Amino acid sequence: MTAPSIAIVGAGPSGCYLAQALRKQWAEARIDIFDRLPVPFGLVRYGVAPDHPGTKAVTRQFERLFERDGIGFHGNLTLGRDFTLDELREAYDVVALATGLAADRRLGIPGDDLPGVYGAGALTRRLNDHPDEQGMRPDLGRRAVIIGQGNVGIDVLRLLSKPEAAFEGSELSPEALAACRATPLARLDIVGRSSAAEAKCDAAMLRELGRLAGLSFHFHATLPAPESVEDQAVSLRLAAFHELAERHTESHTESNGCQIHFHFGWTPEAVLGEARVEAVRFHGGESGRETLELAADSLITAIGFAQHDPDLPGAPDAPRPDDQGRLAPGLYCTGWLRRGPRGTIPENRQDARAVAATIAADLVADRAERPLGRPGAAALPAAAIARATDFAGWKRIQAVEAAEAPAGRLCRRIPDLARLLEIAQATPVGGP
Amino acid sequence: MTIHVIYGTETGNAEMVADDLVEALEGDATVTARDLADFDPAEVAERDFVILVSSTYGEGELPNSAQPFFARLEAQAPDLSGLTFATFGLGDSFYETFNHGSRTLADKLRELGAIELGERGVHDASSGELPGEVAVEWLKGLLGAHGARIMAGEATAEAAS
Ligand SMILES: Cc1cc2nc3c(=O)[nH]c(=O)nc-3n(C[C@H](O)[C@H](O)[C@H](O)COP(=O)(O)OP(=O)(O)OC[C@H]3O[C@@H](n4cnc5c(N)ncnc54)[C@H](O)[C@@H]3O)c2cc1C
Ligand SMILES: Cc1cc2nc3c(=O)[nH]c(=O)nc-3n(C[C@H](O)[C@H](O)[C@H](O)COP(=O)(O)O)c2cc1C
Repeated sequence: MTAPSIAIVGAGPSGCYLAQALRKQWAEARIDIFDRLPVPFGLVRYGVAPDHPGTKAVTRQFERLFERDGIGFHGNLTLGRDFTLDELREAYDVVALATGLAADRRLGIPGDDLPGVYGAGALTRRLNDHPDEQGMRPDLGRRAVIIGQGNVGIDVLRLLSKPEAAFEGSELSPEALAACRATPLARLDIVGRSSAAEAKCDAAMLRELGRLAGLSFHFHATLPAPESVEDQAVSLRLAAFHELAERHTESHTESNGCQIHFHFGWTPEAVLGEARVEAVRFHGGESGRETLELAADSLITAIGFAQHDPDLPGAPDAPRPDDQGRLAPGLYCTGWLRRGPRGTIPENRQDARAVAATIAADLVADRAERPLGRPGAAALPAAAIARATDFAGWKRIQAVEAAEAPAGRLCRRIPDLARLLEIAQATPVGGP
Repeated sequence: MTIHVIYGTETGNAEMVADDLVEALEGDATVTARDLADFDPAEVAERDFVILVSSTYGEGELPNSAQPFFARLEAQAPDLSGLTFATFGLGDSFYETFNHGSRTLADKLRELGAIELGERGVHDASSGELPGEVAVEWLKGLLGAHGARIMAGEATAEAAS
């Protein structure tokens, strides 16, 4: 069978894994990945915490798709702005959407739009120097509340309270840190709806907190004994909570670092305040009928992500994929866009491989109705092609970011979109 | 004789290492790369050599794709005394259980009678090094020390022809 031309929108992990799986299927196919930014890798660059460089190392694997396996990268092109979905489907035999879910899910309670309420997605983008958030100067004050105890909530907790010296060897830029930590936080309350046993964070994330100097941990609930549960992940999580709690009693002397308070089993009810956040009210607790009111200068929500584009899956009136990722003949979706905002990088690999298998099977089954042979990027609007950046452009950005690394950092991310584009679009030395 | 490069992975780094090892070995031997999820030790012939590549997850556990394989070894306890192998692990020194996954697998194979050659290679995701490059360097060291024994099947065939 002749190879199809394939467009993937979104260069995050799911888009990259899909390209990888499709390349194994068709050595000869033209496969192009589009992204709205001139830099690839989605949330691996802009979500994964800047002090977890090991997790970001998966990008070395993705880079070779573009460097060795003939996958095209077309950056600075936004679906819906530079080309329509119909135009893309005219140009390519197969189109797959892998645009993720970037909008912070809102609490949906009174006061959730008061000044001083921030989404964890926006905040972690700010901490990762995402161009979209350069205007963001979060004013967290002395006391912040975090709602949500998943790994993202714990990432935020750590990034806001970790002693500055401990960021040695990370990718966190001094500017981003200064913008988010203008005043040192004296107290952070992290509140979850679930019990300690059912909290959504991994034990390794909690143990990492325990290794940080200067923090003290306070638990506003009795923690079940780790031995009392069968499930190993739960038991390890409880053990990690106990270690944090014991560490507090041992050290006793209040350090001048941040105090961290864990609350379990509370449902948010209202964000209180006149002109900005002053407190957050919850109900629940051990009896289920108690009320908790926490004073706060700011509130960070880490309760998941949603679709902001009304035309894409996840939006209320948008088409939904079937359970194999099909949206329409020749149109597929994968990753967070397909499954919702759950799951780590490995789950996107599984997902992308399954969708690649569906695409391959459909091409055999639909051969008669959908002849192949669409030409690819050349058939896109000329204005779009003119503004696209390529993978060599990203490599130039990467080289500048490495060269400009401040002391104790692996790189200095370029946060300014205009500068990213200037470097990506510069005519290479010795080029035409 | 065949060299089987078998890998256990979640995010695909071990698969990439396996591909690089295959590329480095091609020409010198018949080499195949296979996910542990689809691998049965019964396929290995007496003179074959196995290179085991695995990452580590959770609390020092095996990656998903290696778990069914490990469970099968535990349940069936096959006699692997004809098997020689070497191990390359991927992990992240950020975790206290650095590279425990590859160690668990290697220990199991040895327990079932297989013979491990050379030192276990390791890649640390926090090092910034390319996994494939570290692995190919390790392979050179392995072949330098044990190449003759590993390629013995090949060498005998050549001598005969
Ligand atoms: C704060 C945070 C921390 C995380 N930490 C970890 C971790 O430590 N370990 C882990 O395994 N997982 C982590 N995850 C989860 C992981 O990031 C996701 O599983 C994964 O990134 C989802 O991949 P995706 O490709 O579906 O989406 P994304 O990574 O979001 O990629 C989507 C891509 O599409 C592009 N795009 C969006 N709209 C358009 C458009 N209209 N046109 C063109 N391009 C577009 C975006 O620029 C982006 O590059 C974290 C997630 C978050 C939010
Ligand atoms: C959730 C998670 C847990 C991990 N646990 C460990 C661990 O306990 N020990 C270790 O050495 N590496 C650990 N790692 C790091 C991986 O083994 C490393 O990133 C490796 O390169 C992944 O290879 P793979 O893509 O083949 O799965 C962990 C990674 C993740 C994402």
